[in-house]
Amino acid sequence: MTRRVLSRWKTSYLLSLILIFFFIIYPLIVDTEASYLVYFLYMTFIYIALAQGWNLAAGYTGQVSLGQHAFFGIGCYVTAITWRAGITGYFDPLAMLMSGMGAALVAIVIGIPLLAKLRGDYFALGTLGLGEILRVIAINGKSLTEGVAGISLPSSAYLSMRHYYFIALLIVLVALASVWCITRSSIGLALMAIREDEVAAAANGIAVLKYKIFAFAAGAFITGLCGSLNAYYVFHIHTAAAFNLNWVIIPILMAILGGAGTFLGPILGAFILATVFELANVWMPELHPIFSATFIVLVALFLPDGIMSYISGHEGGGLRKLSLFKWIVRRA
Amino acid sequence: MTGFPSFVIFFQVFINGILLGCMYSVAAIGLSLIFGCMQIIFLAQGAVMILAAYCIYWMVSLTPIDPFFGFLLIIPVFLGIGWAMYTGLFQRVAKTGKNPSLLLAFGLMVLLEHVMSLIWSPNTRSVTTSYSTAAFYLGRINISVTRLIVAVIALIATGFVFLFLKKTMLGKAVRGVSEDMPTAALLGISSSHVSTVTFAIGIALAGVAGVAACITYPFDPYFGFLFSLKALIAVAFGGLGSVGGAFLGGVILGVLESLSSYTISAGWADAVAYGAFMLVLIVRPEGLLGLRSVEKA
Repeated sequence: MTRRVLSRWKTSYLLSLILIFFFIIYPLIVDTEASYLVYFLYMTFIYIALAQGWNLAAGYTGQVSLGQHAFFGIGCYVTAITWRAGITGYFDPLAMLMSGMGAALVAIVIGIPLLAKLRGDYFALGTLGLGEILRVIAINGKSLTEGVAGISLPSSAYLSMRHYYFIALLIVLVALASVWCITRSSIGLALMAIREDEVAAAANGIAVLKYKIFAFAAGAFITGLCGSLNAYYVFHIHTAAAFNLNWVIIPILMAILGGAGTFLGPILGAFILATVFELANVWMPELHPIFSATFIVLVALFLPDGIMSYISGHEGGGLRKLSLFKWIVRRA
Repeated sequence: MTGFPSFVIFFQVFINGILLGCMYSVAAIGLSLIFGCMQIIFLAQGAVMILAAYCIYWMVSLTPIDPFFGFLLIIPVFLGIGWAMYTGLFQRVAKTGKNPSLLLAFGLMVLLEHVMSLIWSPNTRSVTTSYSTAAFYLGRINISVTRLIVAVIALIATGFVFLFLKKTMLGKAVRGVSEDMPTAALLGISSSHVSTVTFAIGIALAGVAGVAACITYPFDPYFGFLFSLKALIAVAFGGLGSVGGAFLGGVILGVLESLSSYTISAGWADAVAYGAFMLVLIVRPEGLLGLRSVEKA
């Protein structure tokens, strides 16, 4: 038994190392400006980071946030405003750090009253309100945010797709490594205890509010980083794009499709959903949103617990339904 | 004499807010009923409203029927749609938990939006009647005829739902299930049957609100999400799961919006509404009229 577990660990480590190696080598050998795959991977990396950021608070801690687009937008705007003001430059690590910190700061400030008072649906509603308030503030931000028209950044600074790709890869690796470390530490244990039973967790001496805020803020930090990179990529930050609900909804779908509260779930979900969306976009551009929406409905109907529950079999009932799928995954 | 006219204007804005709020109320009651039976926020509420708006748009442009007769048509059709949606989709998912239901509601919203945009094009449409601009004076207050009719219909719809919930056996069963599903089941109430009825009524109310909205506002297929949010805020004002609260919440939201767009600016009206929403969530999460504890909801 131990040996089998050990060999499975070795296989998964080896597999992830090969994958990372491929992700590093591939953009070095192809023309990144023309390669569709490089662009696809770039977007997928951002979505993985976003999904994992949501997963930390929602999947592991049980605090379902619908306000991730607020943190994404903060990341966009912090990067754009500091660059325009001349404080930071193009691809400035300081700007990215500030974007992440800004998002985390807002998460802490708003998280203290929301997380202390609200549970479940009410917390989700409150975070949804946060995103909408920030959007309205950005629209009315006069010269600071330049309203609906938004901030235009000097797009002549553009270097190459390769830069974006590797920064996205770096962000996703940092995000994955931190979520992995957090969830496998005593902190992660505390987070999951809060998800399972908040009262029991508090009775066992876990500072519930502190841990909830930590998970929420850490997720916001990752989301803010993605927003910052997006600002460098689009060069034009306006409210409709920066605070777009897609930045919260698509990552949540990915996490749920893969399996919320698991480490591999959001990664798998992001790859699958991004592939489905891209294929739909290529083959039937007119029907793309309808196809994607139908896919979401089908997932909700037939895969409600996410793919991971069928692979690891925690949820029991699903095993019989998809035993062939599980068998293939086990062999692979 | 600046005091007197400004008081008149204030009162005018207040009345407009109440008339506007009645429309939010209907949508909010629908949302609240669906929350009672499924324990989820039905995100597609706004999309269903816009679907009703397009049905009316079609009816008005193809036939000479007055849009207000549309209510008679919309209510049975949307009861049917609600019944089909629940038995076909949600009944199956409701057993697996809340998150899948939420996901399904979201998928349905996106699907409806894009199907509507495919059928009716994404252009902004509006329904106008010969009396769209008609108004009369009540003292010195100007009241728009269409908005008044909308408000009256909203009141009638609310009254019917209220009577249904308070006076009929089925309505009592609906309340029982939304309060405590396991106990209701122990007392012999079929929760799936009751949930179907509740969901259908919720969708029909969304249809009514949609007809009201299309007469008041121009709309496009993606306009609905805003209404979902507004209905949500109204429900939160009143407290999840309370019909009277949802009605009051809608009216409060309407008044708040028109007062803030008059005193501050129209651009900030949404921010004020969301700000008040978050304040209510933090200070009084059970809602202004809510009696249920937050832990239970």
